[in-house]
Amino acid sequence: MHIQDCTENTCVDQIQKIFHTAEVEIQRKKRVKVKLRLDLVPLFLSYARDYLNFKHLAHISCVDWIEENEFELIFMLWSYEASLMIMVKTRVNREKPEFITLSHLWPQAETYEREIHEMYGINFKGNERLGEFILEDWEGVPPMRRDFDTIKYSKENFYQRPGREDAQDVRETISKHSGEEVPDFAKEFSIRRIEE
Amino acid sequence: MTYDKNSKKIVDIIQNFARKHSLWILAYGTGCGAIEVPPTMTSRYDGERFGLRGAATPRQADVLLITGYLATKTLKRVIRTYEQMQSPKYVIGFGSCTINGGMYWDSYNTIKALDRYLPVDVYINGCMPRPESVISGFIKLQQLISEGKANGAEKYQKNLEWYRENQKKVIHNWKMPDYNW
Repeated sequence: MHIQDCTENTCVDQIQKIFHTAEVEIQRKKRVKVKLRLDLVPLFLSYARDYLNFKHLAHISCVDWIEENEFELIFMLWSYEASLMIMVKTRVNREKPEFITLSHLWPQAETYEREIHEMYGINFKGNERLGEFILEDWEGVPPMRRDFDTIKYSKENFYQRPGREDAQDVRETISKHSGEEVPDFAKEFSIRRIEE
Repeated sequence: MTYDKNSKKIVDIIQNFARKHSLWILAYGTGCGAIEVPPTMTSRYDGERFGLRGAATPRQADVLLITGYLATKTLKRVIRTYEQMQSPKYVIGFGSCTINGGMYWDSYNTIKALDRYLPVDVYINGCMPRPESVISGFIKLQQLISEGKANGAEKYQKNLEWYRENQKKVIHNWKMPDYNW
């Protein structure tokens, strides 16, 4: 069954009819958000590609939820017919991050997976080109993980020219101007640590 | 011919005069600053008034423009490129990233001070420097050349060990030929 003029609402109905556990939500016009269990994701993606006509994989992205000990993988699919984007969100365990490759569905998924593997350390089973991609001779914690301390690393590895001590913290300046409060997790990454 | 710094021979004056009026820039953009080079060279600012020209290969070029941030991966290529260039050769650090890291001061992957790794003759600050300041940087370089002070390549030869030490601190897997200077 191909839905030629699929709108947000019919798309949500279709998905909920088949995937009962999926949390589907219309985020805004032309954007549908789907939260899914990890093992249902390959099934859902092939269903969305072949039956709902989401032919184009626009992006795979990753978020590190360190407090919940999980990584979130986000797949963005685009439908040319309906000009609709769906985001498929799923959670991977942070201790042993593993998922299967999607390169059999979309060849371009291979590149996104290589990047996520390099920056977050998620292993995509079946992808044979995982390995050195953008970074060269990188050892240690993948740099986009939140437990990687980038200020400490750059202080240890690179010569820092003195004279930047009076640099302002962007977050504090913005919060002063707009009256917003700096969230707790941002406070510890303050620029003041450079002066220590 | 032995080169004595204190004596300025008429040959040197003629040589430096010729050199400063034909600076060939290696067309190698490392960071976002490379976007300021086309307007500098094209009709509005017309860098060719000052003898600036693009060169295709390192061996034909006189000036290495480091346009912006340098990732450690790029630094490796830049060092090789610089060592392949023939003397006289000059390095211009372009943008605040080459001076003190700029907005990449806390990045895990970019160097913060270019002159620890390559001998810089002229720095142009700004983020990004406008074509006017690029041209003023080149005029400064021309002054240095005519005074015989743009001797970054000699500095590099003399202090090669210090530069190598710094370079190897950043580039962990050093698989490069050691040139016979």
